[in-house]
Amino acid sequence: MTWEVRTFAPEVLAPDVERIEDLARAESALAGVDVAVVEPGDPVRVTHVLDAVEPRIRPDGRRAFPTEDQAGQGVTHRIFDVAVLSCLDFPGEERPLHEQESIVDLAGPAADLTPFGSMRNVVLSFRPGDGSDHRTLDSAVRRVTLSTAEILAEPTLSAEPVHTHTFELGPVDDSLPSVAALVQLSDLGQLYQLYLYGTPVGESGLPKLVDPAEVMDGAVTAGEYHWAAMRNPTIFFQLNSLVRTLYREHGKRLRFSGVVLIRGYEQSADDKQRAADSAAQLAVGLGVDGVVITTDAGGNSHTDTMLTCRACENAGVRTSVIVCEETDLEATAPILTDWVPEADCIVSTGNVEQLGPAWKPERVLGGDHLLDGRPAAEAGPIPVRNYLGATNQMGQLDLGATSW
Amino acid sequence: MVRAIHYLNQFFAGLGGEEAAGTEPTRVDGPVGPGKGLAAALEGIEIVATIACGDDYFGEQEGAALGRLFALIEGDRPDLLVAGPAFGSGRYGYACARVVAEAGKRGIPGLAAMHEENPGVAAAAGRVLIVPTAVNVAGMRDALPRIASLASAVASGRELGPPAEEGYLPRGLRRNRHHGATGAERAVDLLLAKLAGETRSEVGGAFDRVEPPARVGDLSHALMALVTEAGCVPQGNPDRLPSVRAQAWLRYSLAGEKRLEAGEYESVHGGFDVARANEDPNRLVPLDTVKGLVDQGRIGRLHEFFYTTTGNGTPVASSTKFGREIARELRDAGVEAVLLSGT
Amino acid sequence: MLAKEIEREGIPTVFVTSLPTISAMIGVNRTLRGPAITHPFGLEEEERRQIVERALEMLETDVEPTTVWEVAT
Repeated sequence: MTWEVRTFAPEVLAPDVERIEDLARAESALAGVDVAVVEPGDPVRVTHVLDAVEPRIRPDGRRAFPTEDQAGQGVTHRIFDVAVLSCLDFPGEERPLHEQESIVDLAGPAADLTPFGSMRNVVLSFRPGDGSDHRTLDSAVRRVTLSTAEILAEPTLSAEPVHTHTFELGPVDDSLPSVAALVQLSDLGQLYQLYLYGTPVGESGLPKLVDPAEVMDGAVTAGEYHWAAMRNPTIFFQLNSLVRTLYREHGKRLRFSGVVLIRGYEQSADDKQRAADSAAQLAVGLGVDGVVITTDAGGNSHTDTMLTCRACENAGVRTSVIVCEETDLEATAPILTDWVPEADCIVSTGNVEQLGPAWKPERVLGGDHLLDGRPAAEAGPIPVRNYLGATNQMGQLDLGATSW
Repeated sequence: MVRAIHYLNQFFAGLGGEEAAGTEPTRVDGPVGPGKGLAAALEGIEIVATIACGDDYFGEQEGAALGRLFALIEGDRPDLLVAGPAFGSGRYGYACARVVAEAGKRGIPGLAAMHEENPGVAAAAGRVLIVPTAVNVAGMRDALPRIASLASAVASGRELGPPAEEGYLPRGLRRNRHHGATGAERAVDLLLAKLAGETRSEVGGAFDRVEPPARVGDLSHALMALVTEAGCVPQGNPDRLPSVRAQAWLRYSLAGEKRLEAGEYESVHGGFDVARANEDPNRLVPLDTVKGLVDQGRIGRLHEFFYTTTGNGTPVASSTKFGREIARELRDAGVEAVLLSGT
Repeated sequence: MLAKEIEREGIPTVFVTSLPTISAMIGVNRTLRGPAITHPFGLEEEERRQIVERALEMLETDVEPTTVWEVAT
């Protein structure tokens, strides 16, 4: 399959705020939405961030975030350096939802923990309707957010791209090592799950081989609100560094043999082992020499990662694994959530326990107070674990850790 | 003026060489020996007293040694404790690390100095600031100003910067850093390196645990081997095993020997007084005892070769490499039990 | 660490040293504390025999990770 991506400059963006507000009004679960457009480097802190999405549209009229068909072929338009940020403070109590604040600083010392400080952000602060349950609210928010991302890209249909790129995997020298990506997607039920073509990944028959371009063309969307720093918002799939790196290296240092989607949070030890073995078998079936295994979110999804690593190594497929650290600030060795001896090649995407320095933004979007009650404008030091995607374990960003 | 205490071993305190390694804890006013050079390099810090202890005394009676050492400085109200430099001397480095750790427990900030491969670094387990030095005393002149510099930083109470900038060995604390390359790019690089035969990891080592091998079922029928890190070699060291930091290991035949005879074997280990070992090499490699036990039937058979290297300051990486080589040989020879002597 | 590499091959190994703290910290599973750095296997034959016997006992015993024994019980 070939997939052509046409990239347009942020200047083409012309948000129709009223149209976005109408989308929210059409959802009975929502009382409305406040739309704010902020420029790169604005001294703004955004709280209760649920997801980040890049504006996308397809000139052939197919949906940018399809629920059927195969994404990753034909033509897709994108606007670069723009993100839609959806924010909502779910009313009422629910654990772990209310233990896990998710923040983006667009300036200040923690701005470089996420990529959004260098983007123009269209921030959607949703207002929940009375009496809506969390799941109904979430569905509405995701619908409006994805529709907004598509609407925002409409001006590209009558503009000139600044750049065009075609993703394809032609035949290459077969003496090069063959590599695949095993990309972990979580499913712990709604509010804590990712979607493949709109279906929760736990119901999508994972582990499953997909075309790499599907991952980047809207097939994977996020609805996951725990583990802020460790999780992957939609935009990380759209701009996936791992997939793009493997495309780039195809024919140079490796043969890119495909992407296998694997599930994080299989629900029992047996299921976890079965899924790990199954993923390893898919890798063997692809004939790959090695795989990069990614992780989504925290807790026992790391067990899925490590069991998958072990199963691959035992099946003769070499692995590198991407996880972040939860190292206590006084510990003198990295602390991982889980580990197996076969995991001898690990990338650490940083330590969530480290505290970001205190910063006072001039403006707060999303919500005035953090989930723990502190005022967002004057919250003092905030740990890295609360910054959206800061230590994501798909390797999207350049954070890591060193020993002092 | 910051009041500092300096810890030295018996040798650097001028109390004698190896024969004085059993010296009990002692105290003198002001700086002594290298402490004088250190005092000259320090600004705003005064070495009010020097405490010293024999390396063997400390190694064999650590609890008592620490108690007595700190009792000796109770009246000094120190603000800082500096230990060493111990260079490559393992017992001294160990003592320095433990003394500074104990000082820390008693609320006295401190630092030590030694070669990065000194076993004292492992003993510190990341809890003690250590200034890296050369492996032997030729590095004294280079070490003192750097010790003085870190001493000032510690005495000031300010937060320390990264190890490379401040001049101390990384302790293992984790600090985030932007690597430039994304995690994905690094993962692909590491995977390709691994496929090409070079396995590296951004996280590891600390997790290297080996399962305890199951016990020997029947020692009376088992093949046992003797291995030593104490640098025991034939007299004259014909194959030139280095006295420190051996990047090599050697294998010698024990065929026909009932014991290691003085004069035929010696220890070339640079980290301890080898006189006792040279009087009777069986004190390091207990061939006489083991041969006797084989004759009695307590042990089945003794492997024909013994393996020797010097463990003082051996870099961990090469220890693992030749450790694997020795281990594989032992495995291939069907060895079922090993006695390994260290120092 | 030599001892760990030999253990990795599944061969029970006793590391006799007068500095068992480091050995245990590095992860050696069977460490026996010897009397002194200069003579980990003891000065005289009788002491040496006691130390070696204790080491043999350790080889004949299943242990928890990073176990340290003294010669005298």
